Amino acid sequence: MSSTFTDRLLGRVRLSGWVSLAAPILAILFAGVVTSIVLALTGNPVLDTLTTMVDYGSQPRSLVLILNNATTYYLSALAVALGFRMNLFNIGVDGQYRLAALVAAAVGGAVTLPAPFHPILIILVAMLVGAAWAGIAGVLKATRGVSEVISTIMLNTIATGLGAYLLAQWAVPVAGSNNIGTPPIAASGQVPGLTLVPGSSLKVFGLIFLAVAVGIGFHVLLNTTRFGFDLRATGRSEAAAVASGVNVKRMVVYAMLISGGMAGLIGMPQLLGASYSYSLDFQPGLGFTGIAIALLGRNNPVGIAFGALLWAFLDVSANILGLHKISPEIVTIMQGVIVLSVVIAYELAHRYRSVAEQKRVSRELAGAASTPQKEGATA
Amino acid sequence: MFTTGPLGTLTQEASISTETTVSEVAVQLEGITKRFPGVVANRDISLTVQKGHIHAIVGENGAGKSTLMKILYGMQRPDEGEIRVNGSPVTFHTPGDAISAGIGMVHQHFMLADNLTVLENVILGSEPRKGGLALDFAAARKKIKEISDAYGLGVDPDVLVEDIGVGTRQRVEILKVLYRGARILILDEPTAVLVPHEVDELFENLHGLVREGITIIFISHHLDEVLKVADAITVIRRGTTVAEVDPASVTARQLAELMVGSELPSPETRESTVTDVVALQVTGLTIGAEGERRVLDDVTLTIHKGEVLGIAGVEGNGQAELVEAIMGIRPSAGTITLAGEEITTWTTLRRREAGIGYIPEDRHRHGLILEAPLWENRILGHMKEKVNVRGWWINRRGARADTQRIVEQYDVRTPGIDVLASALSGGNQQKLIVGREMSGEPKLLIAAHPTRGVDVGAQAAIWDHLRTARAAGLAVLLISADLDELIGLSDWLKVIHRGSLVAEFDPATVTPEQLGSAMTGAGEEA
Amino acid sequence: MLRNRFGKVVAGAAAGAMLLAAAACGGGDTTEGAPSAAPTDGASAPAASGVKVGLAYDIGGRGDQSFNDSAAAGLDKAVAELGVEINELEAGNGEAESAKEERLRLLASGGFNPVIAVGFAYSASVAKVAAEFPDTKFAIVDDEANKLPNVSNLVFAEEQGSFLVGAAAALKSTKGNVGFVGGVEVPLIKKFQAGFEAGAKAVKPDIKIQAKYLTQPPDFSGFGDPAKGKTAAEGMFDAGADVVYQAAGGSGAGVFEAAKAAGGMAIGVDSDQAKTADPTVADVIITSMLKKVDVAVFDFIKSYTTNSVVAGSKVYDLAAGGVDYSTTGGKVDDIKTQLDDYKAKISSGEITVPKE
Repeated sequence: MSSTFTDRLLGRVRLSGWVSLAAPILAILFAGVVTSIVLALTGNPVLDTLTTMVDYGSQPRSLVLILNNATTYYLSALAVALGFRMNLFNIGVDGQYRLAALVAAAVGGAVTLPAPFHPILIILVAMLVGAAWAGIAGVLKATRGVSEVISTIMLNTIATGLGAYLLAQWAVPVAGSNNIGTPPIAASGQVPGLTLVPGSSLKVFGLIFLAVAVGIGFHVLLNTTRFGFDLRATGRSEAAAVASGVNVKRMVVYAMLISGGMAGLIGMPQLLGASYSYSLDFQPGLGFTGIAIALLGRNNPVGIAFGALLWAFLDVSANILGLHKISPEIVTIMQGVIVLSVVIAYELAHRYRSVAEQKRVSRELAGAASTPQKEGATA
Repeated sequence: MFTTGPLGTLTQEASISTETTVSEVAVQLEGITKRFPGVVANRDISLTVQKGHIHAIVGENGAGKSTLMKILYGMQRPDEGEIRVNGSPVTFHTPGDAISAGIGMVHQHFMLADNLTVLENVILGSEPRKGGLALDFAAARKKIKEISDAYGLGVDPDVLVEDIGVGTRQRVEILKVLYRGARILILDEPTAVLVPHEVDELFENLHGLVREGITIIFISHHLDEVLKVADAITVIRRGTTVAEVDPASVTARQLAELMVGSELPSPETRESTVTDVVALQVTGLTIGAEGERRVLDDVTLTIHKGEVLGIAGVEGNGQAELVEAIMGIRPSAGTITLAGEEITTWTTLRRREAGIGYIPEDRHRHGLILEAPLWENRILGHMKEKVNVRGWWINRRGARADTQRIVEQYDVRTPGIDVLASALSGGNQQKLIVGREMSGEPKLLIAAHPTRGVDVGAQAAIWDHLRTARAAGLAVLLISADLDELIGLSDWLKVIHRGSLVAEFDPATVTPEQLGSAMTGAGEEA
Repeated sequence: MLRNRFGKVVAGAAAGAMLLAAAACGGGDTTEGAPSAAPTDGASAPAASGVKVGLAYDIGGRGDQSFNDSAAAGLDKAVAELGVEINELEAGNGEAESAKEERLRLLASGGFNPVIAVGFAYSASVAKVAAEFPDTKFAIVDDEANKLPNVSNLVFAEEQGSFLVGAAAALKSTKGNVGFVGGVEVPLIKKFQAGFEAGAKAVKPDIKIQAKYLTQPPDFSGFGDPAKGKTAAEGMFDAGADVVYQAAGGSGAGVFEAAKAAGGMAIGVDSDQAKTADPTVADVIITSMLKKVDVAVFDFIKSYTTNSVVAGSKVYDLAAGGVDYSTTGGKVDDIKTQLDDYKAKISSGEITVPKE
């Protein structure tokens, strides 16, 4: 009734029961229809394409890749979602994780510590750098009222420049390579992969457990702590939060710091599990993927997990399309349509549900008390 | 054609500033009724506005003025009744229809883009075209100059809006409406944002406009201003027109009584529970910088344990700011002491912790999170109460149990504590808030319009709760527009007008006349 | 195995959705059973030689009018002259490292041999996948970091070619002011800049050289944004340059436009751009630094068909004809003797061109 569309878009409004499941499933179905139409229009065999993607995407090797991609996406979406839950648009997750990964890789490559401490140090450095970079936007918003959307977008650009400069300072040339990267992290700092999927020699990132832990931590922080309560209250109604004594400015800074700290983790599974060095081709753009997945999962850790897996499945299964002379961009179209239709589906589901709930309440009350309720003047 | 109220011996056309000799009717409303779910905002309203008049419509906030003007400006459609403009019946679906009928509205809050020039603002939305696409600035500038000169508005079309003062901005708004061809202007609380000399300038402009045949409908609740400028006055109370009077033959006091109603309830006789222990001491509370109009000006008040201090006043005179300053939501100068401890520099949360309960004026915006379940709303504002938290953690079980207690004790009608607050009726939402704010044994309760928009049953229940708490030694700052409530509950009344406490009364002896005059700033004439 | 089931649930849900959708839209032509997803489907009719070449492009892929297109030209030549079968895959923007690996793996496991990776970004992926498929021959362009028995590294002496066009720029410049526009500031492109500057200074030691990179990594848009290239080159012409050399991939088109508008001269890169660029601006291109990726790709495929693949680095320098300058349009005919003189000195080792 009085929640805004943005509230619902960002999942600050509760959506429970079967609608929270039905909505995304219907949306994915719809996206499938749209993709099929696009495929048919471009003269590709619809059924073949889709079955090929599913067949390939369900092979053991692909499942490993899906899990690995989803781990990264999950962390990214959680970082975005924390801000969203407080009505903060941290568009700067991208810059935060890139800078964090670079500094953490440089520190990790420069020191050698006994095994458990080495990766922990690297992860802590990454979180600190991510938090500090996001904190700039938080402080600017709290003290000067600068929109975090603007400042984080600008900080992304600054992070790119700063990253290029720092990389040039810290990089060691690899003989014969046109790539440059930070010195590789010694074995003591690496996190070994896990053979989780039978039938594939590929290994799942060991830090998948970190992602799960962060997801649980996200839930615990938001739903069982005072801080989380203040954060959600601020997101749902800033006016009510202020009247209730929440120090909104301080919350803005804290939320940005936490979001940035989580953003710092995004690069860790790849850095500590596969590349061991931050180089020119370290994957960019994950922060933006995180925004889409956070919307898909309604900023809820479980929803985001499904969103990340779906996104990763689509990304991985796109690999096979090129071999069949089908443009992999079809997957990008599909991802876009899914996000759009999920947003619309949630909106429809919400309207249905709020009407249903109000009816239910008045029905149950009518049963309990027969005195008619009469509203007074409200003007 | 004219309705006459209790005082309304309507005299011949008073010729204060108009040259109109033949009386022509610009706007006529007949039998206008508008219902909203559960409430009738306008009931059988009749109104006749003469062409070339400044016709004031006065009434308390909530009396139905805004709804009436929205109907006349096409923003809402009446359920019953007829609107006639210049004699012919009209039906407005949108403000656009009203504009084409020659009716324009100047809103209380200006709708101007700061970074555009006056010219650009005026033509925004009705840009003159030259050869299909290009904007014809020259023609627009010429037309604006003509209008400005004709009505003596003195507006320069080429300055940026951000560079001009409030008074000029208002004239730009008027010009904007005139530019669109309006001959009937609705001004909604035009003086609310102006300092006294700007008010005088505005009135001169208005006289200039009516001389040129423009009709003005002027909405206000500042009776002194209305008496000064209007050619005719219509009083609205509780959704209907109660009188149409001639400003020349009515005093501010009479007008005030018409506005608030002559039958004020007799104060309830009861035992005083007032002690001599000071609960709240506010000294020299001021909001607003030197030289500006202060929204709160040197307010000093004391509330003792077991005392209910009522603040009477027409809305918008600083009540909301007073409450927010005491709650620490809005920065202010002055000192605030709670039970002997100075809390001036404390945060809102600390003040709440120290024992201030707060029933906010707008429960949807400030009192509740509508999209959260009841038990989470129980925690809101009480994030440090033992029952709600354990250190850093939310005490889910404790909060739920206590919510259940409030639901039972305060008779909140709900199927459970997990429903969203938005699913409850207004009265039940308010009962939940009252229950929440009464828990944790507050020393002071700030209750702003505690029974506004709630049903009769909930109203009585909330009053009972307040009386019980007062008997138990609670100090209450009560702000209300409902005189029944104020007189019935308060031990002492103070009147706020334009940010200052201008009068105080014993509710046992106050007369409605005294209260009405003080509230509307007509006190000095009494 | 919770994770595993997780993945299957999602895959299953998505699959269901897509199948339904496909059934709804596919109509009558979906009666035959689902075909196998084996990657070999993509290959066309068997060729005489029976050699199936897999090629993975860098971002931009076939049609980038630059680096990737040059590789594609070599591939096309191999199809025409050697009768090989091919399949090409293309990198996506901002893709994960694992996607690159998987691309090579799909080709190798699909029976493609040899597999060619275009661009240094494939360095780590080639190292990993080549180890997984010891019987498949791999080649990687622009990288020699991997030394595996089944990897050939095809690298170029870009600085030598750039030296020649730098000399050409200095000789052609009447204002003594030339410019260099790099796509992205990465070591590879810095080689172009170093060679260009050395060449220009060899001709005119006091020449003024302006240099600008369009973007910084990880922002690789500088290789595909003509508007950025145009702005940068406009700035150089405004600041007094009359010849601008671009090593900016797709952004180079903007450099040519700027040169045309300013009445200046431009130097192309990678392929003979006086032939490949938009005809309306082709006349401003006085020469191009040729980086013969097509030659390298064709040579490699040919050596495979003759069973003479050599692992390790193969350097395509001036002496080997891997880099050169172009003469299309005849705009450098007047200075050809001087340029060929430098060419001889570099080939003989008399001049050593710096790489950075």
